[in-house]
Amino acid sequence: MALRALRRVAVSLAPRCPGRGGPFPSARSAWPQAAPARSLGTSALLFSARKFTDKHEWISVENGIGTVGISNFAQEALGDVVYCSLPEIGTKLNKQDEFGALESVKAASELYSPLTGEVTEINTALADNPGLVNKSCYEDGWLIKMTVDNPSELNELMNEDAYEKYIKSIED
Amino acid sequence: MVILLSLKNCFQLHYGLKIPAAGFRCSANSGLIIQSVSSDIYQNLAVEDWVHDNMTLEDRHVLFMWRNSPTVVIGRHQNPWQECNLKIMREKNIKLARRRSGGGTVYHDLGNINLTFFTSKKKYERMENLKLVVRALKALRPQFDVRATERYDLLLNGNFKISGTAAKLGRTVAYHHCTLLCNADRFLLSSVLKSPYKGIKSNATPSMPALVKNLFEEDPSLTCEIVMDAIAAEYARCHKIDHCITLINPGDETVFPGINMKTKELQTWDWIYGKTPKFSIRTCFNMVYKQSLLEVKVDIQVKHGRIEACNIDLPEQWLPPAMCSELEKNLTGSKLCPSETAALASTLLRVCPQNYELHSKWSLLCETVMTLM
Repeated sequence: MALRALRRVAVSLAPRCPGRGGPFPSARSAWPQAAPARSLGTSALLFSARKFTDKHEWISVENGIGTVGISNFAQEALGDVVYCSLPEIGTKLNKQDEFGALESVKAASELYSPLTGEVTEINTALADNPGLVNKSCYEDGWLIKMTVDNPSELNELMNEDAYEKYIKSIED
Repeated sequence: MVILLSLKNCFQLHYGLKIPAAGFRCSANSGLIIQSVSSDIYQNLAVEDWVHDNMTLEDRHVLFMWRNSPTVVIGRHQNPWQECNLKIMREKNIKLARRRSGGGTVYHDLGNINLTFFTSKKKYERMENLKLVVRALKALRPQFDVRATERYDLLLNGNFKISGTAAKLGRTVAYHHCTLLCNADRFLLSSVLKSPYKGIKSNATPSMPALVKNLFEEDPSLTCEIVMDAIAAEYARCHKIDHCITLINPGDETVFPGINMKTKELQTWDWIYGKTPKFSIRTCFNMVYKQSLLEVKVDIQVKHGRIEACNIDLPEQWLPPAMCSELEKNLTGSKLCPSETAALASTLLRVCPQNYELHSKWSLLCETVMTLM
């Protein structure tokens, strides 16, 4: 619980701290001071480069919020997306939980949560323009944003290089 | 030759399928053919869910054959108000089901065969499955002109649709299912697959209407049994397995643990209607009251199958404005459902002045609004 409260503090603080590496103002938190924050697990919760799951979802974390989408490999394999079924804001997801589906000319394909967290935002542009998932799977075609409840789960995901290798191995 | 096995002669299906070739009288090393004894759409869809969730199909495939009593089946992301005539369906006791795969709306009855091809995700190949069906049909009747299109439809004589396809990709398992019109009621099909509802604005996936035909019309000697047998034979040949079909009872929890819960979920209002993508209804009605024509404008927002907001515009002073806003207020949050609206309307009627003219106007308005549902 306390951890969650701290994260909310961190999220609201972050925009005001231009260099994210600075320690939290001591007046506001009971978290032990250690600088630089980069070296702690908390740095992962503040920011992470894009990571991939073996189900071809990606997540990138900024200010403690993860943005989730599907990879280029996935969108190519799916074909033209005609409908995106996304969860309600506030939905709690465990890692690997099904959180929605994409319907394409190929099939209805389930979406699996890369991490444990709560949905904070969904990409409403996809309602009228589901093709964004194909056209811009890493930018405008993002699916949901969610909190990152267990930052260590990020370590279980593949970075870009590892994912590229993974795709090559399954293509053979 | 077809050997229809009763499941009593086999080990429990889920064990037998996980242990290669264990316990089955026919060797099912790389394939299994099952056929449902039930004609209940929800039970049969639950079998698909069960196989999808419980089986590992790395080295074996499954063909599931099933037929249903009259039912309209909509795709995962479709809008039933947009796709079919719910009024006729209620009158004729035709069920409505929402499947978990994508695609468009279809009509099933006992003259239609459903085929589900289960494979691992890697081996998912719709065209191969359809070619198998075409080969089976051509083996039966070489003169038939049947081919698969790029849209994964099967066409008879180049322009009549006899089969439509949909599919689902899960964690490790994929399934491709398709219909096959043998001897279905085409007249009923056309009437139920036509929506009478106007003014719907929705981003739900739409269906593509098509001219359809039954195989029976091409050759009256064909029955569903003959066709199913031919498809099973071709599947067996392709997978190098014995041509034997295992009959399954989708209600049997000992064979399919947990299946009854899946069946129940598929029957809930929340799944069938509640999963409809958000939509709006904006339309004008003409009501006839005492030889005068009155225009009613309706604007309804529907989310999860419930009325999120509604606005009813009536000619000024035709009804006391308070009554109209009471109706709007009470409709908000209720299901888009005629019986729920009727109950609501009669409840409201009881608390309003006992005036014959008022009551008859009220009933007319409510009946008009109910035609939207």
